[in-house]
Amino acid sequence: MKISWFHLMPYRWLPPDFRERYHSVWVDLPNRLYDPERGHALYNEYLDMLEYADQMGFDAVGVNEHHQNAYGMMPSPNLMAAALARRTERAMILVLGNSIVLYNPPVRVAEEFAMLDVISGGRLIAGFPVGTSMDTNYCYGENPATIREKYREANDLILKAWAEREPFAWNGKYTKLRYVNLWPQPIQKPRPPVWVPGLGSIETWDWCIDHDYNYSYLSFSGYKRAQRVMDSWWAQRAKRRADDNPYSGAFFQQVCLSDTDAACEKEWWPHVDYFFNKCLHLYPAMANAPGYMTEASLRAGIVAQVGNTTGNMGMNKTWKELCEQRYIVAGSPETVRQQLEELAKSLRVGHLAVGLQIGSSPIELTNRSTHLFATKVLPSLRNLFPGYEDRWWPKPLPRERRTAPGSRNEAVRAQVERPAGGAA
Amino acid sequence: MSAGNPVSRVIELGPGRPTIEVLEAGEGAPLLFLHGAGGIPAWAGALPILAEHFRVHAPLLPGFGKSAGLECLDDQWDLFLHCFDVMEALGLSRPYVVGESMGGWIAAEMAALRPKEIGRLALASPIGLWRDDAPVVDMFGKMTHELVPYLFHDQGCPPAQAMLAMSTLVSDKDDRTEEQVEMLLGYIRGFRTAAKFLFPIPEHGLEKRLWRITAPTLLVWGDHDAFVAPSYAKLFAAKIPNARIELVEGCGHAIGLEKPEPYAAAVVRFARGGS
Repeated sequence: MKISWFHLMPYRWLPPDFRERYHSVWVDLPNRLYDPERGHALYNEYLDMLEYADQMGFDAVGVNEHHQNAYGMMPSPNLMAAALARRTERAMILVLGNSIVLYNPPVRVAEEFAMLDVISGGRLIAGFPVGTSMDTNYCYGENPATIREKYREANDLILKAWAEREPFAWNGKYTKLRYVNLWPQPIQKPRPPVWVPGLGSIETWDWCIDHDYNYSYLSFSGYKRAQRVMDSWWAQRAKRRADDNPYSGAFFQQVCLSDTDAACEKEWWPHVDYFFNKCLHLYPAMANAPGYMTEASLRAGIVAQVGNTTGNMGMNKTWKELCEQRYIVAGSPETVRQQLEELAKSLRVGHLAVGLQIGSSPIELTNRSTHLFATKVLPSLRNLFPGYEDRWWPKPLPRERRTAPGSRNEAVRAQVERPAGGAA
Repeated sequence: MSAGNPVSRVIELGPGRPTIEVLEAGEGAPLLFLHGAGGIPAWAGALPILAEHFRVHAPLLPGFGKSAGLECLDDQWDLFLHCFDVMEALGLSRPYVVGESMGGWIAAEMAALRPKEIGRLALASPIGLWRDDAPVVDMFGKMTHELVPYLFHDQGCPPAQAMLAMSTLVSDKDDRTEEQVEMLLGYIRGFRTAAKFLFPIPEHGLEKRLWRITAPTLLVWGDHDAFVAPSYAKLFAAKIPNARIELVEGCGHAIGLEKPEPYAAAVVRFARGGS
């Protein structure tokens, strides 16, 4: 099993009466609540957390894209990934992902992902989400009735841009380009691995199987409520005669660690409370613009064959309820290890993305959690699912062929900084 | 044929083109009725009254009723041409076109594109124009029950109450009947069609084409329209060469549902009295 350290980058300073005064954390929350100086401190603290995760041996560090959102302050995840590419060494860089329809033209994604892959020495995992309805329709004005068709075309264009070695013309319905000719090309061949984050739309499973993409279920409701969705994923793979490789699936789980179970509640509850009761305060009228979900997915959701797993987001629950229902996996390292092994076995996912920064948790608490996880939990989880090839993982350059950030300055410093004067 | 009891028929427009359900009732001069984003869930409101005076043809856009084939219409130009195709299939020559809200926008665009093919025009609180100081309400970003105060002046009137009742179906519960599930899906399907042409801002440059309209045009507006402000009536009237305004008192945006009698009377009167 491989474990990614995934950051949402929430704003930590929403007012106490936020829920009473505003109808959502997203889309139309007035930005007068945002203080750029606090934002400066947060971005740097959050990047420090990700860099620490790299130092502690996590397999990947992860970022994602949201717009006009106080729990996800990364409208451009690629900027964060670029910072990480320079300041991390071992970890892969999981960008989950770029909402590819929002980039005009979508070759922008092919270019920026290629840049990240080249800067990082081939460590990129490229995420291709459709993007939530809040992000794509309400914030960026994409038409909900055509977004999925546009998404498929953007996907095809990006793949072709990565693959072709000669300029080509692209006459699409949504993008028309006379000359597509990608500079630079990614290091990874034939392309960086692609992961598709989903929320349980049934078409996404076939889409992932057709393209051999990883299906990443990004839920905030924890692994017990994810069972039906992941069971359906495995059932669809079996039906389509795709292999049962656990690495074809990924799951996001929020995790809190302290020295003991009792200490965990005391240390983490204020931050968990902030997340579930402030960050997930959403306005339901903007969850699904008309046409954003296909009729098949809507029907499935309405009659609850696979749906209703995102219906209850975990608001107004006690610490005990959140723990018991596994919205969060929380406690001592031993408690967390047991529950995550149960997660891995019940969902059968080879990739676990853990959210170790939750809500308003500051760096001392978060990094302690990261440290406990890395030293007490990670080693045993790594042993799960031996014998499966992970073909959804980057193939970076070998270490000896990578250029370390700063190393070129060091190599030439003495020569450059020699005393001025004529050569005599 | 009874005015209160429309006949429904389904027309195949041809390969690669939509299939259309048309509701028809009444006798007399042809009247083409273009519905709003709510579709025609029942033969109610102004429709039965108009059918006492005209031969009413009310085609449903793809996604509404039994009409299908939204994927054949890529953008608003396809939509306008489609509506001319429907007119042709119904054998209508220079009809009186009456459009409500979204239908009013389509009717105005048709009259601007092919002025000679539209005999007369009545636009009931049409969308299609935009002013920053009077933004048209976002119909795609509100809960159903939250839309009610924007659509009705009197929120206690029976159609407003019916809409509130329907909004209880939109919840996380799993206990809906099969019939309710289909009703909900039908409602979302219609809204999807509206969104395809109107999301996120219901404005596509109609204002610069309004001068092309030659049909005598009636603008009917609820004097308390909170969805598209009555000030838009003046904008339309200022740009359409032969237009006049009638305000319906004590009425909101859903004019055909809230005040069908004075609204239909104005539409009938306009046909008789000319411009």
